[in-house]
Amino acid sequence: MWRCCYAETQSMKGLILNCLGRKEEAYEHVKRGLRNDLRSHVCWHVYGLLQRSDRKYDEAIKCYRNALKWDRDNLQILRDLSLLQIQMRDLEGYRDTRYQLLVLRPAQRASWIGYAMAYHLLKDYDMALKVLEEYRKTQTVKPFDYEHSEMLLYQNMVMREAGMTEEALKHLDNYDAQLVDRITVKEVKAKLLVELGRTEEATKIYWELLDRNPANWESYHGLEDSIKPATPEERLEIYTLAAEKYPQALVPKRLSLNFTAATPEERLEIYTLAAEKYPQALVPKRLSLNFTADDVFREHLDKFLRRMLHKGVPPLFVILRPLYKDHEKAKIIEDVINGYAESLKECELFDKNDDAEKESPTTLLWTYYFLAQHYDVIGQTKQALEYINVALEHTLTLIELFVVKARIYKHAGNIHEAVRCLDEAQSLDTADRYINSKCAKYMLRANMVKEAEEMCAKFTREGVSAMENLNEMQCMWFQTECATAYHRMGKYGEALKKCQEIERHFSEIIEDQFDFHTYCMRKMTLRAYVGLLRLEDVLRQHPFYYKAARLAIQIYTHLYDHPITDSDDTQQADQENLSESELKKLRNKRRKKAKQEALRLEKQRQEESRREAQKAKNPDAELDGPKEEELVPDKLAKTEDPLGEAVKFLKPLQLLAPDRIETHLLAYEIYSRKGKLLLMLQSVKRSYAIDKTHPQLHLCLAKFLHTVMTKQEETLPEPVSSVLKKELEMMSGGMSPLSLNTAFIARYPRSLPHQFAGGRVMYFLDPSLQDQAVDMATKIDNDTEGVTLNLCIDILESLRRGDFGKCDTVACDFKERCHELYPYALAFSTPIDNNTPDLKAKANNIDNADSANILLNGTEP
Amino acid sequence: MNIRNAKPDDLMNMQHCNLLCLPENYQMKYYFYHGLSWPQLSFVAEDEKGKIVGYVLAKMEEDPEDSVPHGHITSLAVKRSHRRLGLAQKLMDQASRAMVECFNAKYVSLHVRKSNRAALHLYASTLKFTISDIEPKYYADGEDAYAMRRDLTEFGAKVEEKAVVA
Repeated sequence: MWRCCYAETQSMKGLILNCLGRKEEAYEHVKRGLRNDLRSHVCWHVYGLLQRSDRKYDEAIKCYRNALKWDRDNLQILRDLSLLQIQMRDLEGYRDTRYQLLVLRPAQRASWIGYAMAYHLLKDYDMALKVLEEYRKTQTVKPFDYEHSEMLLYQNMVMREAGMTEEALKHLDNYDAQLVDRITVKEVKAKLLVELGRTEEATKIYWELLDRNPANWESYHGLEDSIKPATPEERLEIYTLAAEKYPQALVPKRLSLNFTAATPEERLEIYTLAAEKYPQALVPKRLSLNFTADDVFREHLDKFLRRMLHKGVPPLFVILRPLYKDHEKAKIIEDVINGYAESLKECELFDKNDDAEKESPTTLLWTYYFLAQHYDVIGQTKQALEYINVALEHTLTLIELFVVKARIYKHAGNIHEAVRCLDEAQSLDTADRYINSKCAKYMLRANMVKEAEEMCAKFTREGVSAMENLNEMQCMWFQTECATAYHRMGKYGEALKKCQEIERHFSEIIEDQFDFHTYCMRKMTLRAYVGLLRLEDVLRQHPFYYKAARLAIQIYTHLYDHPITDSDDTQQADQENLSESELKKLRNKRRKKAKQEALRLEKQRQEESRREAQKAKNPDAELDGPKEEELVPDKLAKTEDPLGEAVKFLKPLQLLAPDRIETHLLAYEIYSRKGKLLLMLQSVKRSYAIDKTHPQLHLCLAKFLHTVMTKQEETLPEPVSSVLKKELEMMSGGMSPLSLNTAFIARYPRSLPHQFAGGRVMYFLDPSLQDQAVDMATKIDNDTEGVTLNLCIDILESLRRGDFGKCDTVACDFKERCHELYPYALAFSTPIDNNTPDLKAKANNIDNADSANILLNGTEP
Repeated sequence: MNIRNAKPDDLMNMQHCNLLCLPENYQMKYYFYHGLSWPQLSFVAEDEKGKIVGYVLAKMEEDPEDSVPHGHITSLAVKRSHRRLGLAQKLMDQASRAMVECFNAKYVSLHVRKSNRAALHLYASTLKFTISDIEPKYYADGEDAYAMRRDLTEFGAKVEEKAVVA
């Protein structure tokens, strides 16, 4: 007895120590307690609680299970166990624990709901519904009973997931008066009615939904689903009606532009199709005659544009941008707007023949603003700049104009000019964080990390560094951009730190669910809760994760190829081409830098010790979660197992983004370095299944084929080699790498990305073919397809990197050719073209405010 | 732009929009807290690619001092690139109506920086809010806030009608 009490006292002391943040002592006490009495449920429970606070959930589950062996009906332990089970998605275990809780506490509603939910998540809908229905019968309903309404709607959700369409509809009707979430009721009901073919009733409800919110696309789509318009005319009619009903609403007017045919030919096609489908019908044949001369799209567009330009709606272009997928439509837009510009300039009317009041001068301004964006998007930089400059002459203080000008320069490849424009914009309204963020983002694109941080600091909390505050606020756009900038600058450790910070945000957000497991049962917001669980299951699907993971993988594979040694630290820059005086300058600079760095570190140390001191005063801050290891850039860059680290980032992509070919191409990069033939095969096969024409895949496939064929000589286990042989034959058609490449090159004679990949493979297989290979990768003439600024930059970098051996002259020639194509792009300009010599290199080495000023303002200090 | 109720998957993108546009930021958990306590009250505006260009993050006051049930706007933002489309008003109207329908709210309140004249104008003239109080040093940087309110009985009338029919 004494022994037992003593053991539990020790455990409890450990628990308290844990709460005080004294982890080690805590574990010591708890373990000692447990050793003294292995049959105490308290000791096991406490041990589990400690593990839980360190987020070692699997371990904690084991402890709770041990605790329950000695006290199987302990409610608190059962509850704690159930939370861990749902957090870890051990659904069967969760169901069993919830069963025990229901048996022990049948009077509590959470017991019923939790039990039902376990079955729902296991897709045993029948059982889930039975439990919910039993529970519902016990309820008395109050007026405005939100929780009851939520319970009913959850029940309805389970019915729908079970495919019980009719029952779900009946259920909604039965309890209509008790349901307070009217939007959901209507949306669900309309959908069910459509499914049941009761389209007229559905139509009525969709109109009611639109009465509430005429800006909801879903309701328009619902209308289309229920009315099922047979012809484009009928479809258009729906939107015309809506536009009449809601004259203030933009959505019906804008959505209709999506499907109004741009040209008579396009419309003719629809009717030809109809005529083929219904050979007896006269109508489609007759109707098609009607519009061969007119132009519905133009007519609708004209109305739309006039209204918006007159009102002066800055996002007008943004709204129409998606129509540019259709070249015909883009052309018509250009035509119409140019017409306005001409006429407005001449006589202040949209059309010379209009009999209307004169437009104000701002209408012309917004027209120029539109035209600038239009020409930017279709890649005509010169015109775009002309129009934005005219607009700026008109009004010099309109922030939006600077934003567009910046974007034009960014697209044209001159990020420094873009930063200059946005800095100007930002200075015109320093209270607007949106402009501030944009400016910071562009600065990061220009590798101006310090400046970007200073820009952001105008809006972050005082007393903490902006970097730290942005990390605390989980500001992932900044962190991904920042990581990419560091990567470009070759600061791999810093870049990895940002990637790891993002990874930690995702872990944290998954952790965030924990409290909601109990909370939502209490609040009855069960549909939202299930939504949360499903979201967390695929959380790393988010583009922020993809970007960070991709970058991390690229860096880790690079570090595998080029490990950082300690001697690298002292000679990062390429010193080959420096004169003696330049070297001296460089050394001085370095000394200065080292001094500054030492100062910075000293400051950091002080800051840290200050924080530590604060933490000691305020131990609560340490309570959520274990202390995480500090991310030290240098350590990250010198990791001993870069490929292992890369795989950690790859796994979620393979699981959650298997449809993206990039996922498997990244996997190939890792596994080829590990020399794992079967995993390389897997990656190539998956890529092949997604897009067998992808140029990067060709590169992988050809190299892989080559590797396997040379490996065959060595000893591969028989099953492996036969699998490889069989699978590769399927993808390569039994060809050798060389003939595979020849066939590939011949298949896409005009596509630059394919010719580039083909050229790389050609040189890889036979370096004596260098001239031919380089020629393929760099040949751009009028009918070459797929030429983009970024591809050209990639090719240039590839040439410089030595993917084609030594070919400096070709690289120079190619650069000149690209300069002709992209005259604004800094990547192809020679120092002479530009007043600020070699901007790219300079931006990377900004180390004092003065040189930053030169870049920003173009003036000498 | 499409205006619709915010789902759990929208919350991360709302946080992103918030960080781009506003100085007051919150960790994800706070968004989850809103989305899981009052899932009907938050709305988003999205473009055709599904990007969030504006949102309203709203809640009910949990223990109202005046014991009158009322809603509160935690955060409202529209990207500068999507201004002048009336998105803020649409978002606020949807949120307000849902507060009345689901929680019987009598009014909705919010805080705004004294210096934020653009927002003040929007709330006062477009959205019919009135200043109810001044909260000194409400913001982290020491700035005062106006506490503002909008009466929701107008929305209430619509809901009553429905309730009688039902």
